[in-house]
Amino acid sequence: MMSQQATERRPTAEEAGLDRAKQLQGELVKSYYKWLWDVRNNGGKIAYCFVMANPAELLRVFDIAPVYPEITSLQISYRGGAPQLINLSEEFGYSTDCCGYVKMGVATVLNKGQTAIGNIPTPDMAMLTYSGCQIYIHWWEQYQYLTKTPVFTIDIPYVRDYDGHVAKHDIKYVAAQLEEIIPALERFTGKRFDEEKLREYVRLSGEAWELWKKCLHMGKLKPSPIDAYFEAIYYMSAITLIRGTKECVDFYRFLLQELQERYDKGIGPTSEEKFRLIFEGVPNYPFFKRFWNLFRQWNARCVAATYPKVAGMVDVDAFTMNPEKPLESIAEYMIHAYCNWNMMMRTNLIKKYVNEYGADGVVIHSIKSCRSFSMGHGDIREYLIKELDVPALHIESDHVDPRYYAEAQLKNRVDAFFESLSVRKGM
Amino acid sequence: MAEFYVAGVDAGSTYTKSAVLDDGGNLVATAVLMTGVKITEAARKAYDEVLRKAGIKENEVKFLVGTGYGRYNITFGNIQVTEISCHAKGAHYLFPNTRTVLDMGGQDTKAIRINERGEVVDFCMNDKCAAGTGRFIEGAAKVLGLSLKEVGELSLKGKKAVKISSTCAVFAETETMEQLAWGNSIEDVLYGVHTSMAVRSIGLLRRVGIEPEVTFTGGVSQNVGMVKCLEEQLKMKINVSPLTMYCGAIGAALYGLEKVKATPLLQAR
Repeated sequence: MMSQQATERRPTAEEAGLDRAKQLQGELVKSYYKWLWDVRNNGGKIAYCFVMANPAELLRVFDIAPVYPEITSLQISYRGGAPQLINLSEEFGYSTDCCGYVKMGVATVLNKGQTAIGNIPTPDMAMLTYSGCQIYIHWWEQYQYLTKTPVFTIDIPYVRDYDGHVAKHDIKYVAAQLEEIIPALERFTGKRFDEEKLREYVRLSGEAWELWKKCLHMGKLKPSPIDAYFEAIYYMSAITLIRGTKECVDFYRFLLQELQERYDKGIGPTSEEKFRLIFEGVPNYPFFKRFWNLFRQWNARCVAATYPKVAGMVDVDAFTMNPEKPLESIAEYMIHAYCNWNMMMRTNLIKKYVNEYGADGVVIHSIKSCRSFSMGHGDIREYLIKELDVPALHIESDHVDPRYYAEAQLKNRVDAFFESLSVRKGM
Repeated sequence: MAEFYVAGVDAGSTYTKSAVLDDGGNLVATAVLMTGVKITEAARKAYDEVLRKAGIKENEVKFLVGTGYGRYNITFGNIQVTEISCHAKGAHYLFPNTRTVLDMGGQDTKAIRINERGEVVDFCMNDKCAAGTGRFIEGAAKVLGLSLKEVGELSLKGKKAVKISSTCAVFAETETMEQLAWGNSIEDVLYGVHTSMAVRSIGLLRRVGIEPEVTFTGGVSQNVGMVKCLEEQLKMKINVSPLTMYCGAIGAALYGLEKVKATPLLQAR
């Protein structure tokens, strides 16, 4: 019936062959895991690190390869390997309510690195750059207990009264800790600190951040050539896993070109752009594609999102990578972890996105695993709807635990949200 | 005699409801039956039944809209719309001054804020938990060996509402038994069960904002005890009628009517 009026359907980026960056990202992830084993086999060290606030450039100077248990957990969940590890952790004694990241991460070590995505090296050290959550401290302590590895701790202050710049004394405080940790890392690895190397890694890191920022800003274009949430989840892995390398810079240069080509040809992640959304929260990884489809089938594109910035608040110029001041640069980056931002800053960022990216609405996805991250989501929703008159949808599942995903209920909410957006847009 | 008809089928988790409207938007007939496990079959039966009651043939129906959890199983329909949008439209149809809708179904409860045209402005639902839904009352009814109709009526006779503190529908069954063992009367316990549900659903309503008039829809809107407890807790009258349980199906049919009117091609068919 409706087809008589329908115009010819445009191909999606995937159908048009403009989705090569994702394949490249897949290859980069593979070579990253190979690199980890090369480092271990050649006498280098493996450090377990958090995605947020890690000093990857500094570790690289000492041939320390970072493993991110958060990322391995997500990748294992994406490949369907979560239930086995979660069960193992719960048998070990963790409660059902405990964070899925912790359970997956601990079980990976209990299982001697054997997972659905291959063999992950166990830690030689754990880098505790605590930011955002209390349980993370105990998670790292659990590694220390299980594997007798040292924990190196850097205390990161919260961002309080932010006026566009982090307070100088905060940067000084973190940079001083980084300086203090250098001799400890020298003793631990038996390698001398090389400042020139650090400057080079910081320079490469800065170059990659700059390109990634440009990619994210492409979401401002109408129609947007990027889904800055569901696609960014793939794209963001390079900046975390291989930051400070030429490969990382090359990847974002390639991505930027591909996005530009998409835009020039009028191609995007969905066949058309009916809705522009802002997304807050961690996605569901065990059912990632189905979760994405809930939005994709309405031809909705996420034009900006907060979650991909957990790797670094790059799009709002929260930090700069200056090779002349490498430790201060890393310190500033570390302070600007998304979870280090207070609730008002997070809310204002979403408000800014809505305005600058011309969004139709906001979707907030809470996760059962993380009360500290999801806390306040209800208030953000209320603020958007009641104070700003911005349509907002609040849904919930989990990022790694498939038991918390109820598709029929999610779909009901998502469909109803789009139905009311359609009415609002007069579609 | 109407030129054409539109229909809505609401395949809910417990009951499947159907409604037929004529081309002028007048309600012609409604029907209801248990959903069971064969959703498509139940939807088909509910549709056949409402056609029979309306005294019309299937080819006289120009548009059929499916709604409810089983909406994608209504393969013989033209489009699917969520029951959130449909309940909003249905409640607005029955009570045009409605601005807030509380839909209490078998497995979920929804608070919906609507505008003067019956369009959804905001909505909130209970999470993956049956507390505060029809299933909560069913649980209590099962424990007491009573029918759903009886539990509502008996609760009206309660003098004081016994506190049911459990937030879990399964644990609430145990708590109901415990309260009886403590010597509380069935009436008081049931009054408590209904009050506990009313309080929970009002929390949901507050999240979208309670603006009068409030219309109570869904299967549980037929429970007299629930209506009383809601009015007590809200301190205001709420709209309810024997038709409010059909709001989803009526709203679906209204979507069909809109679709036909907006598509000249369909009118000519």
